Amino acid sequence: MAIIMEGRRNHSDHRLLRAMFEARKRVFVDLLRWDVPVLDGRYEIDQFDDENAIYVIVTDGEGRHRGSARLLPTMRPHILDTLFPQLCADRPPRGAGIFEITRFCLDREQDATSRLIARNRLVSAMVDYAIDNGIHAFSGVAEVGWLQQILAFGWRCSPLGLPRQIGGRMLGALRIEIGENTPALLSWNKIYAPDMLQGALEAA
Amino acid sequence: MFDRLEAFIRHMGEAQCEGALAERLADICREMGFAYFALTHHVDILRAPQPVIRLHNYPPDWAAWFDREQLGPSDPVHRASHVTSAGFAWSSLPAMIHLTPRDRLVLKLAGSQGLGDGFTVPANVPGESHGSCSFATAAGNAFPEHEMFFAQLIGTYAFERARGLWRMRGRGASDLPKLTDRQRDCLYWAARGKTDWEIARILGLRRDTVIQHLKHARERYGVSKRTQLAVHALYDGIICFTDILSR
Repeated sequence: MAIIMEGRRNHSDHRLLRAMFEARKRVFVDLLRWDVPVLDGRYEIDQFDDENAIYVIVTDGEGRHRGSARLLPTMRPHILDTLFPQLCADRPPRGAGIFEITRFCLDREQDATSRLIARNRLVSAMVDYAIDNGIHAFSGVAEVGWLQQILAFGWRCSPLGLPRQIGGRMLGALRIEIGENTPALLSWNKIYAPDMLQGALEAA
Repeated sequence: MFDRLEAFIRHMGEAQCEGALAERLADICREMGFAYFALTHHVDILRAPQPVIRLHNYPPDWAAWFDREQLGPSDPVHRASHVTSAGFAWSSLPAMIHLTPRDRLVLKLAGSQGLGDGFTVPANVPGESHGSCSFATAAGNAFPEHEMFFAQLIGTYAFERARGLWRMRGRGASDLPKLTDRQRDCLYWAARGKTDWEIARILGLRRDTVIQHLKHARERYGVSKRTQLAVHALYDGIICFTDILSR
């Protein structure tokens, strides 16, 4: 199921947040070799993991972390405007209805099929959250190798500038438009599946 | 410069058939200082039964010779595009893959047919065949290095448009042979080198059942050997390299 956590504080489920920070360490530090801070040798947590961050987490039947993403409000400092403004031909998108997708992370401990399922549920949950909360666009920084996959989701996604070689990786900035028809576009590509249990869980 | 890129992307996105997309790509190609483009799925190298994306404006003699000699399976550019996810210049091939004497001969012949330096953008959509979009200069012309990042985005958006048109013809991923969960499970272990007996033990099935599952999976792909089945399934993304090679 998909779980939304707004900010790092006041959550009964610290276990799931810890699992997410651990999974992020395994993906971004151990696998992708990003130069980002690690806490206690186990958790990947940076300056943007504060009370303004929104976490979208998908879990399996036993409540284990399978995938997650962090949404940052673009009205506050975020990755694109703080670390990579050079990736945008104009100024990075900024607005109350624009959030930045960061730390899109799929747990490494699953096979290819489970990873795709987790990925689709995570994308669906992010879009549901956006529509429910008046978010009309996402921005984000991605390695160019991911772009083909991101485009293939079928949503409206355009580059914000030319990619650049930064720290040995070719990075690009993207903008994704979210609207009422986004779930239909994603469904057509077999990406979107509404999370029926999400509302029930949040109400509990 | 970025306005130009946005216009190209929009223009490609409006192409309503493969011919129109090919024409637009040829125009963009020339604007960037390249002479040739080739946008292709790599499944054809296995003569896979499913239809593939393939658009190019390579010299006809070269393309025909390439196919006749069945060079697809060994094409060094295709091979290199499986070891990276970002675009690469052909000049970096020797650093990316081991080039055999035959590879060097192929590259030399490509040169003699009018192809110069090139830039290839790998196109990988999980669950679908690998592909790529390449741009090449005419032999003897300078490689437009400053257009690399531009070419990276053009290649990616062109491939997505080709994919969209291909799906509109009703030839999307849904046309790929489908395996049941059990067939896939058996194939996964077979691809990792397990015998029928071992697979039966791992999955808690009878050995006969495992043999049947793998037989039916081969039938769905129209292949007779287990190795062919594993390779097809890897290309189609039914199983993935990291699963097979891990641990």
